[in-house]
Amino acid sequence: MPLKVMQPYAASAPKADWFVRTRVQPLPYLLLLPSLALIFLIELYPFINGVSFSVHKGSLLGTGPFVGLDNYLRLFNSADFYNSLWFSFVFAFCNVAISYLIGLALALFLNLDFPGRGICRVALLVPWIVPAVVSIVSWKWLIADRGGLVNIFLNSVGIGPIYFLSDSGWAMVAVIVIKIWRSFPFMMLSLLAALQVIDRTLYEAGKIDGANGRQLFWYITLPHLKNISIIQAILMTIWSINDFETPYLLTQGGPSNATENLILLSYRFTFGRNDVGRGSAVAILTLVVLMILSTIIMRQQRKAV
Amino acid sequence: MKAPKLRFRNIRLLAVLFASSVAAMVSPVTGQSKDHVDLQFWDMIWGGPEYIDAGKALVAQFNQEHPDITASYRSIPWTNWYQTFLTAIGSGTAPDLSTGAGYQAVQLYDQNAILPIDDLISDWKAKGKLDDFLPNTVEILKYDNHYVALPWAIDIRVWYYRKDLLQQANVQPPTNWAEFKAAAQALTKPASDQYGMVAAGDTLGEHLLLTLMFNNDGGLFTADRKLDLASDRNMEALKYLGDLVQAKTVYPASAGYSGEDALSAFTQGKGALFLTTPGLRARFPKLADQIGILNPLVGPHGDQGTIYWVNNIMLYKQGKHPAESKIFLEWWSEHEKDLWTKGHVTQLPTRKSFASDSYFQDNPETKFILQNYVPIAKTTATHATGIFPKLNDVEGEGALQTLSQSLLQGKDVDGSVKTAADRLRSIMED
Repeated sequence: MPLKVMQPYAASAPKADWFVRTRVQPLPYLLLLPSLALIFLIELYPFINGVSFSVHKGSLLGTGPFVGLDNYLRLFNSADFYNSLWFSFVFAFCNVAISYLIGLALALFLNLDFPGRGICRVALLVPWIVPAVVSIVSWKWLIADRGGLVNIFLNSVGIGPIYFLSDSGWAMVAVIVIKIWRSFPFMMLSLLAALQVIDRTLYEAGKIDGANGRQLFWYITLPHLKNISIIQAILMTIWSINDFETPYLLTQGGPSNATENLILLSYRFTFGRNDVGRGSAVAILTLVVLMILSTIIMRQQRKAV
Repeated sequence: MKAPKLRFRNIRLLAVLFASSVAAMVSPVTGQSKDHVDLQFWDMIWGGPEYIDAGKALVAQFNQEHPDITASYRSIPWTNWYQTFLTAIGSGTAPDLSTGAGYQAVQLYDQNAILPIDDLISDWKAKGKLDDFLPNTVEILKYDNHYVALPWAIDIRVWYYRKDLLQQANVQPPTNWAEFKAAAQALTKPASDQYGMVAAGDTLGEHLLLTLMFNNDGGLFTADRKLDLASDRNMEALKYLGDLVQAKTVYPASAGYSGEDALSAFTQGKGALFLTTPGLRARFPKLADQIGILNPLVGPHGDQGTIYWVNNIMLYKQGKHPAESKIFLEWWSEHEKDLWTKGHVTQLPTRKSFASDSYFQDNPETKFILQNYVPIAKTTATHATGIFPKLNDVEGEGALQTLSQSLLQGKDVDGSVKTAADRLRSIMED
């Protein structure tokens, strides 16, 4: 005869069964809940707000009327948007590629055993440690046309002064070079950390098998740097596309909008023109661009290495 | 067991202290009557530290003379000024009244944040008090058939020149465009890193373009506020600047210069002619003898003109005491001379009675500008008569700055103007 007292237990049994069946422990998820709630509040609310602004004709004082995709369509018909998109790509590509190569070269160098290695490591981290405003303003002084050390040197070797921030082409070069200078220590540090965990016996085995230095680098070092390189490339792409301070402090996007990236364009629309709708649309499109770029980088690098 | 009790006592003590502090902060000041009014006056920083001191002293004097009103003075820095006001309005904490940028009042009026002062103006008109203001300075601030603010100062751009450099090159101060171009060529000595003219690619670059356009009877707008950048007179003015750049008479770094960079180049003798704000002689006393002001240039068709802004004081709708705010506004407007005599503002007063004071008349620089530049000055709205809200976006968006950077780099004038006109049109259509 079945026991009636078993009924209440039977009613709650499927839930308990599910945890037992799937071996899922509920406690860790419960502990995560407060953090997840905070992240949703900090990340999701501004994002939803941004999307909402981008489909309204708003000002800094209010959201304004709903305009659908009009802000996006107007951007797609605007030369300023394509100019900013182009500069953002050039800026990000040059920064990621060149800072990676410099960082890799320096990481390989610092992975060698030589006297003064510690001092070199610290010295090479300086561009990363110094606050952005300090380093960018210092660079601005260095490349100034009057009294800047770079131009004093160029004058001394007979090359006339170069007006780095007054010519569209040179301004692009200056902004990119200074960004690379600020970025390479991150690349160097991460790659150095990855290099130091490669098992030395792999190199010894390779040497015994007759591999030369190039082959050791190509078949042992590079594959071990694959994962960290993917992460670095994605992070640096995001940081480059999102970089506000470098072009703003150096050129404010000028001259003639030559160094205006998507973030500066968003800033100009929002605060210069009081057009929060279009400023938000630029920000949302920047996010889309970043997601596409990150996906492409991940796929390409996984295929390549 | 004692420790938890002690902690609990401490918490209670802290709670009592906190509550009493909050109560002390929110309670009215002892001795003030129920009808006592507190006003918030936000003043932009229009000068050095002495300006803020002069402003505070004036407010203290007002408070002394009006025992039932206490005005609080708050200095507002120019950095992110627009966001500061919009945030305050958006959060319902706008001041009772404030000074602000030239077109701030009309733009905020359009967003239902400004209280018109029509009654005050009508009253002053009846009493003849408006006669004390320089011509057109009050009417410029009329928008949508309402007076949205009261003028207090004029910000203007004037042409300065280096007397020493002109003497060395045996060049007379130019009086018209043809002479200006010839002088710039004669003063240009690239080997000595000296050029005829220095300019900037920031807002000062925009002011240079507007000044040249006004100097040729051009302007950004038609009388009915339609965009008119590519008009014949404007194109002639912009091509004139383009010609100066092509002739390599403009300091080559100008496109990337800020106003301060350009000023520094001017004081170092890198450029002999420079359009900027008044007050250079006071700022550089050691160079004062070497700095002269040009007569307003005469354009190729006999026109004169420069850019100016009529800075103003405005009342906010969120203010709880409009009547007392108007009392303060009236008092401030009639007593603010100390802002110049003690605060050393470089702008010029809009009141004739202040302008005729020995402080201005004994200073040859300000006297000259008041006599020669102010009467020919025009606002960004030109040829429209009054200012309007879009002017703030037009200036803030930077389309004309970009145009000045392109022209100062020697880029094609027609193409650069077309790009700028498209951008401006897009602002106007919003």
